[in-house]
Amino acid sequence: MPLRFHWMFPKGGEVAMKTAQETSRVLTTKETSPAAIPDMDGWSRFARAAEEAGIESALLSFSRYEPDTILIACAVGMATSKLKTIVAYRSGLMQPATFVQQINTLSNLIQGRLAINLVAGSNTAEQRGYGDYYEHDDRYARAEEFLAICRSFWDTSHNGHGVDYEGKYYRLEGGKIFTPYAAEDRKAPEIYVSGHSDAARRLAMSQASCWLRLIDTPEKLQPQVAAVREAGREVCLRLCVVVRPAREEALRAALALLPDERIGREERAILQRSDSHTLHEALAAADERGWLGEHLWAGLVPYYGSSAITLVGTPSDLADAFLSYGRIGVTQFIIAGWPKLDEMVGFGRDVLPLVRQREGS
Amino acid sequence: MALRFHWMLPKAGEVVPGAKQTPREAVRYRADSTIEGSSAPYPDLPGWTHFAHAAENAGIESVLISFSRYEPDPLVVSAALGCATTKLTFMLACRAGLTQPAAFVQQINTLSQLLGGRVSLNLVAGSSLSEQRGYGDFLPHDDRYARAGEFLTICNQFWRNGGEAGFRGHFYCVENGKLLTPFGENGKNGRAGGRSKPEVYISGHSEAAHRLVVEHGSCWLRVADTPEAIADSVKQMRDAGVSVGLRLCLLTRPTHEEAVDAVESLVPRDNGGGQATAVALKDDSVMHRDAAEDRVPAWHSPNIWTGLVPFYGPVWTTLAGTPREIAEAFLAWGEIGVEQFILSGWPELDTVETFGREVLPLIREGEACR
Repeated sequence: MPLRFHWMFPKGGEVAMKTAQETSRVLTTKETSPAAIPDMDGWSRFARAAEEAGIESALLSFSRYEPDTILIACAVGMATSKLKTIVAYRSGLMQPATFVQQINTLSNLIQGRLAINLVAGSNTAEQRGYGDYYEHDDRYARAEEFLAICRSFWDTSHNGHGVDYEGKYYRLEGGKIFTPYAAEDRKAPEIYVSGHSDAARRLAMSQASCWLRLIDTPEKLQPQVAAVREAGREVCLRLCVVVRPAREEALRAALALLPDERIGREERAILQRSDSHTLHEALAAADERGWLGEHLWAGLVPYYGSSAITLVGTPSDLADAFLSYGRIGVTQFIIAGWPKLDEMVGFGRDVLPLVRQREGS
Repeated sequence: MALRFHWMLPKAGEVVPGAKQTPREAVRYRADSTIEGSSAPYPDLPGWTHFAHAAENAGIESVLISFSRYEPDPLVVSAALGCATTKLTFMLACRAGLTQPAAFVQQINTLSQLLGGRVSLNLVAGSSLSEQRGYGDFLPHDDRYARAGEFLTICNQFWRNGGEAGFRGHFYCVENGKLLTPFGENGKNGRAGGRSKPEVYISGHSEAAHRLVVEHGSCWLRVADTPEAIADSVKQMRDAGVSVGLRLCLLTRPTHEEAVDAVESLVPRDNGGGQATAVALKDDSVMHRDAAEDRVPAWHSPNIWTGLVPFYGPVWTTLAGTPREIAEAFLAWGEIGVEQFILSGWPELDTVETFGREVLPLIREGEACR
């Protein structure tokens, strides 16, 4: 199977921004952030460029700083014809039956071009602002129930009787949603579960189609990837890319992404407050080593978040790197770059053809 | 203030552009929309878009999109349909208790941004116990209203306090709630004098429903009846600062006799078949129980007819007559303080076109003379 490449959906206003510093997450969490307002013009440009670049899906992130992902996926899906969206949503904010009704409705409107990234929750303070008072492990246990119920709704083999469930977090009696999930080739959306904690990996293996995690070196990832593949699930890595014709150029471009010191301190302070294992692991990696491998750099993590571990190099370097992940069983990647549009267009033009060529040989 | 007219969005598959449907066929389609095999669960953008344009042309302000497990989700449908329209407001039916208020406000605000503020809400506390249980909600009737009160308190905090909320109640707790996406008065299609919060319509004939609308809502929706029969309840609401809207169906014909014949011919011939369905579907609604026990003769006045109510429920109360009679009836409701109407008809498309062409101009004329 060819490797599958997705891209991070830009935040509101980001498509027009030219530098990484501008798009730093500090902007997102500020009261006046453009990220709070839907940016259909920028998003339509991005979506067309993504389709042309050969990108399969765009991942829409969920937070209180941004518009709702399900409705944005609908608006973006109406404006595109090929691109899929991976809709991040948090379990615990909505009854699973209601979530299924929204997702099924959406699938009918955009020809099933969607997948779900189910997030158990991010930080305790933000969750409480949503009325959710559970801590990390309970949130994962609840997500397990949430997905089990969703899957019962999508499993149409129980026709007629409806969904009955009696769990610790949810209870349903005769649940039935008449609008079915609609896609050419599937009866349910693909489900991505992200996270580095044991709870997250267990959840991915029991309820998801794909475990989503941060990139690391193939050697480090190999045992976990093998276990997840063994359980019949795919593995998808999140990373950033900086691609330039020459190695030195790529390095210079990567270093130029570092923010000025003040913004860096603010960013770091925000990140420290998260109770995500993923993030703390990534921060530690950045502090201890900086370069995780010959082309893999963690230097941006303290400023742009855990998903900013970056492959830096020439198109050929990157194509080889992707194939080396393919060899250990990774099948998908969700990529970001700066500026959003240019880096993605460059990836589609320079890197993807090499990957396809080398996959073939 | 000019009377405001809204319309029910037809069920999916109900409007087929170019095809002709008899009133009887339209009744049957809607009555059967909860039965397995109906196309009502499948979103129908072509039919809805066609209807939405007809409604905009007819001078209709909003379309009400109903919520049930038999239909697509109204929020997602509005996001799609909103992109295809420019003036129409989307009145979304929603049930408290299925979504955390913060997540709900985030969705409503996002939708309003996409639609330039063209969003209002019809909050339903819940109508059928068995349907609610299928959604994971096991609260009894009065508790559902208490929870809806907390739900709206939190939503209104988010809307009034610049996206911030804090609340500690029996059903919900929110600590330092914060949402950055505001209600979308600034969107591309924003109306002049746009709102920073949506209008909230609440229906219901129970005491609990009345309290909820007075404390948290902007408009009380009730089933239509003669001005004499509803004047007191309308006055009570208006005195409490709440707008009043009536739900009803319309049937217009050139002569009174034709209208009466047409409407009476809609009674189902397979006697009683529909009755069990309508009442059973909404077994926990006081409004629906009242209707099922209605023993008043079907004609409440020369133009208000409830002959279909025992079969299909209270919102099938029908105003039948000539355009002039119908215009007069709306003006008479206006006299006692009713300001808004949510209408429906068989078929929806023909009826909304007739209303816009033949009835609404007479109403506007009549309003100008008063």
